[in-house]
Amino acid sequence: MAARPLAAPVMRNLLTLLMLLVIGLPFIWMILSSFQPTSVLINPRELFRPDAFTLENYARLPSEANFLLILRNSLVVALASTAIAIPLALLAAYSVYRTRYRGRQTVYLLLLVVYVFPGILLLAPLFKLFSMSGVLNTWLSLIIMNVTFSAPFSVWLMRGFFTSIPHGIEEAAAIDGATDMQILRRIIVPLTAPGIVVTGTYTFVYSWTEFLFASVFLIDDSLKTLPIGLEGLVTQYSIDWGLLSAAAVMTALPVVALFAFAGRYFVEGVTAGASK
Amino acid sequence: MSMMTMATRLGAALLATTAATGVLAQTEVTVWHQEQVQPRIDQFQKVIDAFNESQDEYEVVQQVQSWGNIYQKLPPAVEAGIQPDIQFTIPDFTVTVRDTGVVQPVTEFVERLDEEHGFIEQAVVPYTDDGEVWAVPVYGMIQVLWYRKDMFEAAGLDPESPPQTWDELLSAAETLTGDRTFGIGVPASKSLATDQVLYSFMAANKGQELFAEDGSVAFDTPDNVETLEFYRQLAELSPSGIGSWTWAEPQDALNAGSVAMAIEKGQYLSTFESASGRPASDLGCAPVPVSDDGERASIYYSNGAMIMTDDPDRRAGAEAFLAFVLEPENYAEFLLAEPGLFLPLTEDGATDAWKQAEALQPYQECVELMIEQSTYGKLPGFNRGTVEDAIGPIMAQNLMSQVVQRVVVGDESPADAVAWGQQQMEEALSE
Amino acid sequence: MSTTGSSAQAANAETDAAGPKGSAVVPVRARLGRLFAAPIMIWLALTIALPLGYCIWISLTNANTMGGTPRFVGLANYVTVLTDGTVGGPFLRSLAWAIGGAIIQTLLAAGAALLLNRRFAGQHIARTWIMASWVVPTIVTAFLWRWMLNADFGVVNHVLQSLGLIGRPIDFLGDPDFAFITVTLVNAWRWFPFMTLLILAALTRVAPEYYEAARVEGATSWQVFTRVTLPFIQPVLYVVGLLGTLWSINVFDIIWLTTKGGPLDMTETMPVAIYERAFQQFRLGEASAMSVSLALFLLVFAYCFIRFVPRGATEQEVI
Repeated sequence: MAARPLAAPVMRNLLTLLMLLVIGLPFIWMILSSFQPTSVLINPRELFRPDAFTLENYARLPSEANFLLILRNSLVVALASTAIAIPLALLAAYSVYRTRYRGRQTVYLLLLVVYVFPGILLLAPLFKLFSMSGVLNTWLSLIIMNVTFSAPFSVWLMRGFFTSIPHGIEEAAAIDGATDMQILRRIIVPLTAPGIVVTGTYTFVYSWTEFLFASVFLIDDSLKTLPIGLEGLVTQYSIDWGLLSAAAVMTALPVVALFAFAGRYFVEGVTAGASK
Repeated sequence: MSMMTMATRLGAALLATTAATGVLAQTEVTVWHQEQVQPRIDQFQKVIDAFNESQDEYEVVQQVQSWGNIYQKLPPAVEAGIQPDIQFTIPDFTVTVRDTGVVQPVTEFVERLDEEHGFIEQAVVPYTDDGEVWAVPVYGMIQVLWYRKDMFEAAGLDPESPPQTWDELLSAAETLTGDRTFGIGVPASKSLATDQVLYSFMAANKGQELFAEDGSVAFDTPDNVETLEFYRQLAELSPSGIGSWTWAEPQDALNAGSVAMAIEKGQYLSTFESASGRPASDLGCAPVPVSDDGERASIYYSNGAMIMTDDPDRRAGAEAFLAFVLEPENYAEFLLAEPGLFLPLTEDGATDAWKQAEALQPYQECVELMIEQSTYGKLPGFNRGTVEDAIGPIMAQNLMSQVVQRVVVGDESPADAVAWGQQQMEEALSE
Repeated sequence: MSTTGSSAQAANAETDAAGPKGSAVVPVRARLGRLFAAPIMIWLALTIALPLGYCIWISLTNANTMGGTPRFVGLANYVTVLTDGTVGGPFLRSLAWAIGGAIIQTLLAAGAALLLNRRFAGQHIARTWIMASWVVPTIVTAFLWRWMLNADFGVVNHVLQSLGLIGRPIDFLGDPDFAFITVTLVNAWRWFPFMTLLILAALTRVAPEYYEAARVEGATSWQVFTRVTLPFIQPVLYVVGLLGTLWSINVFDIIWLTTKGGPLDMTETMPVAIYERAFQQFRLGEASAMSVSLALFLLVFAYCFIRFVPRGATEQEVI
């Protein structure tokens, strides 16, 4: 890209900066505001008051939003969903991208067709099925649906590095007399690490943000996840913006932290082969 | 699946063993309510703990739901047989939930409580239908006019004589509207909040009844058109964001001093000082102003508790708990879950322990006013002791607020909008 | 990522471009393939197909959300919802929502991906940074924007007013003229970063040699884009176009949490209308008929998409 007119790189950097601001500014604003008392936040004449800096909103989180409990619940649900989605998606990806059999295309299409059905449509029947099988009002009900809606797309997300390995490797190995399992080990094992990162991150994020099912399938307070806890702060007669912004920051934080750590591998995983 | 069944069986077996050994001889009574704020949950828990300690037959457990999803959760829960024993409710929710077929009449129980504590009429009537009472009234909520005395003073109005009629309200709102302040803030979103404010004005202008005596929809009346026209005028003196206002925004605006008046329920009291940074004496209150030929009235919600179990033990437990809550010495604690918003609806309920509680102490006049205003309370579709089923979908769809939206943000004429509302309500009725 | 061996990438690209569709099938692995596909297929059968069947049954009855015994009514609900004139508006809005969203998001994402597909200081941070709006819960997004766009104390109106761009504050989510586009943009803000990542994924597979060759031949920037870049991101745009549309039409939470379908029904898309019919009017049978109809429409859409839209080279092996 060196052979561009001189102005272009500057322009591009400016545009990149603008893009990062569009994404980032709302969050920065949210973080700044979480250190302000509600009385300042709702005052049309005062946007921000540096001298009113306070940690009070965060101090109130444990008692007024039961925050530690719902944070733990969210973590458990997201981690468990991730643990199930990973093997399911890895196996399916291998099946779809590295093998040939009649019906394979149908399998692939079925994985995409999942997204034809809106969650709302499935709400009532799932409630019934779950209550019949004793899964209702447990984390398992959320975990099951998180896997349902994240694993199929994870398969597609992994296509990059599954297709990046030349098929010749397997064929050559087969000719050398390697068994199925040996081939598998040679192909699948190297793919496991990026697969875990990609599927894991995607499922974790999906589970962390899931709202609809969590709002209906859980009855016990003690089981509720973060989005539901946050909803409790939003829909009341009076919205406590200070408390809410602190809760929002703390909800975003774990997953942003995870992303800061694993995000690079996620991006690399999705962007395929290159890091192999 | 087999793992799950195994786990379930294991759990059941465990339960059976503990029950057999007598450790779990208590009957568990579950309560679902929609008060999600942690302080309210904590306060409820205090009352529940007190009840659980006061006897050893029953153990009450609360499970917090939300108004946002209770309509999706309760019916399948009933179908699956896992509904709560006690479900907190408001009258139009009761109408809808009765379709599930598991709401138990509580007529005799309510009569007994009435003899003991004396319910106000507005508490029981909304739950009366088909000759039975379908929920135990637990607390009330009433709308009044809230205003900022300091802003009245600054605008040259007498803070001790708030507007009483519509003309006075309008002229006060005009006087109070300044450069960056607005005389009043009325909501105009599609929401229950807007439904409620509109209905308070309708009730104060001869429009309390949505249905005629014969059960037909009677929304399209000259009085209601006049009310909508008045609402439009108030909306013009309100901030530009009212199209998305529900409950929080008018309160925030009043606390911030960007509007001088608002029509709402008692939740304004307890946070006024901290959220506005003004002394308690700056918050004024008055009955909702009345039209020329109208009568004093405003919207009143009798919040109740439905009993949804036909198991005699659980039912007895549910009754014991509700009776415990309404005992004056426990009632104050319960009402203080939301000081000012939750009002006593029994004659012996307005105890000193409640009125003199720290959060309410500075607002004695307003507390008294709300109790008095409660006896003028009305509720759309629930004033006659018999209920039109159509009120369920009418309220769930927020049809009244949609009429407001058409006038305020859609610039439709009040007459056209009211006619549209009439037609929508008739459709709901035809179901 | 593009730091490691460019020859490996070229090899990848070749494998992709060649498309192993015609390559020798390895018969022994057919069994393995079926075996490995089985778990997820069973999983989806239990969690999607089973409830779906139940939903179709409900759509053929007069079920009330609040209970009672449903009675079989044949296709009556379908006739009702397709003829009573209440579905047209939400359906058109859903189309506008999906098409508008697709255009805005694709443009934003393609632009962002091109910008990020360069080597510059902090490129890793930048790539992670832009994912922020995708990883936070929708409810946080909804709250954040409701609050920033608030007409009374929101920062956006405050800034616009201080700059003298507007006189009176704009009620972005409550004004019928603004609500639809505002929610569309908020939704785009939430989703375009993820799409950026997918496009970026495709872009990183374009070996520098291709650009080199194009430049040697004297191609203009536009030609480089259409002849080199586009063919590489086409397969991604293909899947994103398909899945993105399905996702987008089924979006419910962000709309419900910001506008509840208002003002004046301006943001009432199909999922919102289905929700209202099921949980505010309590006509579960009709609501189910609406969602089954919508799902059928989406299936037809998916079929046509797969049948007629050029999918680009690398996906040939699968679809």
